[in-house]
Amino acid sequence: MFYLAWRNLWQSKTQFMMGVGGVALALVLMLALDALLAGSEEDLTAYIIQSGADVFVAQEGVKNMHMAASAITWRDLRIASHAEGVASASPILYTTTVIETDRADVLSYIIGFDPTEPLGGPQKLLAGTTRLKEDEIIIDEAVARSQDLNLGDTIDIFGDTFTIVGMTKGLTNIINSVTFIRLEDFQKLRGDEAVSYALLKVKPSYDPREVAQIITARNPDGVLALTQDDFAGEEKQIIKDMSIEVLNLMNASGLLIGLAVTALTVYTSTLHKRREYAVLKAIGANNRHLYRVVISQAFLSLVIGAALAIGLVWLMGLVLPQFIAGFNLALSRESMLRVLLASLFIGVIAALVPTWQVARLDPARVFRD
Amino acid sequence: MTELIMNVENVTRHFGSGLTEVIAVRDVSLTVAPGEVVLIMGPSGSGKTTLLSMLGGLLKPSNGRIQIDSDEISAMNERHLPEVRLRHIGFIFQDFNLLSALSVLDNVAMVAQLDGLSRRQARKRAKPLLEQLGLGHRLSFLPEKLSGGEKQRVAIARALVNKPDLILADEPTANLDSHHGHEIMRLLRRIAKEENRGVIIVSHDQRIKDVADRILWLEDGQFKDVVEMAIDPVCGMSVDREEAPAQAKYDGQIFYFCARGCRDEFLEMPERFLKEMTPSTM
Repeated sequence: MFYLAWRNLWQSKTQFMMGVGGVALALVLMLALDALLAGSEEDLTAYIIQSGADVFVAQEGVKNMHMAASAITWRDLRIASHAEGVASASPILYTTTVIETDRADVLSYIIGFDPTEPLGGPQKLLAGTTRLKEDEIIIDEAVARSQDLNLGDTIDIFGDTFTIVGMTKGLTNIINSVTFIRLEDFQKLRGDEAVSYALLKVKPSYDPREVAQIITARNPDGVLALTQDDFAGEEKQIIKDMSIEVLNLMNASGLLIGLAVTALTVYTSTLHKRREYAVLKAIGANNRHLYRVVISQAFLSLVIGAALAIGLVWLMGLVLPQFIAGFNLALSRESMLRVLLASLFIGVIAALVPTWQVARLDPARVFRD
Repeated sequence: MTELIMNVENVTRHFGSGLTEVIAVRDVSLTVAPGEVVLIMGPSGSGKTTLLSMLGGLLKPSNGRIQIDSDEISAMNERHLPEVRLRHIGFIFQDFNLLSALSVLDNVAMVAQLDGLSRRQARKRAKPLLEQLGLGHRLSFLPEKLSGGEKQRVAIARALVNKPDLILADEPTANLDSHHGHEIMRLLRRIAKEENRGVIIVSHDQRIKDVADRILWLEDGQFKDVVEMAIDPVCGMSVDREEAPAQAKYDGQIFYFCARGCRDEFLEMPERFLKEMTPSTM
């Protein structure tokens, strides 16, 4: 019966391609947004993950960086740095602003770090140096590429001009990028006395989670210390929370469109083959045989559509970042599983009406028609 | 007594009720023996299709009994009838009704698959059958590429693949020219005689009367006339007993001939012709 289902579908190649294509596009809606979100989560937490820090210390109640404002005093920093198990504590200043280039203004996280400290600055450099001097800046290569900038060019931040002396890789996401200046330059421009975050390295024999708890316990009204994993997790959660409604809407849309296309494909195919199914019944097929044909048709369309959708999104992930800075589609196993489950659900629903149709077919009609 | 393949007793089928009631088939009885070819003829609206549907277990009679082998299909639950059709009946349709997406081989194998065989086993069973019917060179063709005669032969193979006791053919020559039509009818007769199957043919086609052992005339839902056929022992033609141009009695038996010439030839040397005849052809 599976072979008959396949042959019936393949007989009307155009209809089959359109049906499968429709299903694929509907599933791409679900998959692409999921992948974009996963990619964004990766990119937005790139600085945190690449930082090399074991513990992040922020203002009490602040658990992330994106769209957050954190201020801890130098005293809080000293208390944290002297906690048991802490090998080093590097301060950073952080804000979101626009960097002005000759071509366009680009939104960016600005991180002011101390080049003499082990942590806070870029851990991976594509070109140039991290040993910043006054009015020197490190930008991400994706921004440099999109704005046609090179080492030695200048850009403006906070009304001041900075010379590009270094380039990072992988610190641009779909929303913005990460740019580094000296802590002193940041303080000068913004007049900040406090610091935003402290990045801690923990001694080898110590558990970062325990160190974080100790730091928080010592100064609960001043700071909150989280491990790198927890801090990155909180950052991802913010992104998820911000996009959950859009994601649900797109998933629901994708699901409904996929359902409509599959149902229509299987329904019209069953209608078209009604006489043949009646003949099959006349020559001895029972309803179960025909259900298998109809259900196989639904699932064949869906499996091929899902495979096509996954392939399309994978291809988009390869091609689009070449043209859109910071564009990252991260296809995860969970996304693919979700799409396959959605396909299963669609298949079951889409096959309902056609199975009812074949159940009602009167085999005697082969003599009447 | 030869065991019957089909026994139909006082079968009636009506549609609707009260003032709108229509009796499509009225009190019809019929038996079919192994190796027998029965032709049911009649005008449009006479009830042939309704009768054929009932004989094939596609429609339940309002009254009466229909028995195929030992199964009383008229009393069976709907759920069991597909299996009876699959194992005991082979259908041949006017419009061939082949599955357009499947090759010749798969069309025939499909019926064997319905009976539980794997696709491989089913194709293995279907192939020699198609080769016997002269379609060995068409196995991978789709139905749209076949001539009418070839399509009907595929339909015959499909009807035979599960070795049914009974073949039901609905206007099998309606979409064929006279040459192919005769070819198909001779094929059905050969299948009946050589494989001892019962064949019931419903048709308008007057040209095919000579292949039948019995011709039943259905009109207004009832059999009006029963025509018994005999085989001319000299030339082998089917002859209507009542209208036979010549007859002869020999050894206590009456023989029917298509012409006086055949009768005269028979009477010169009867033993020579009687040796060649089998009981079912007399």
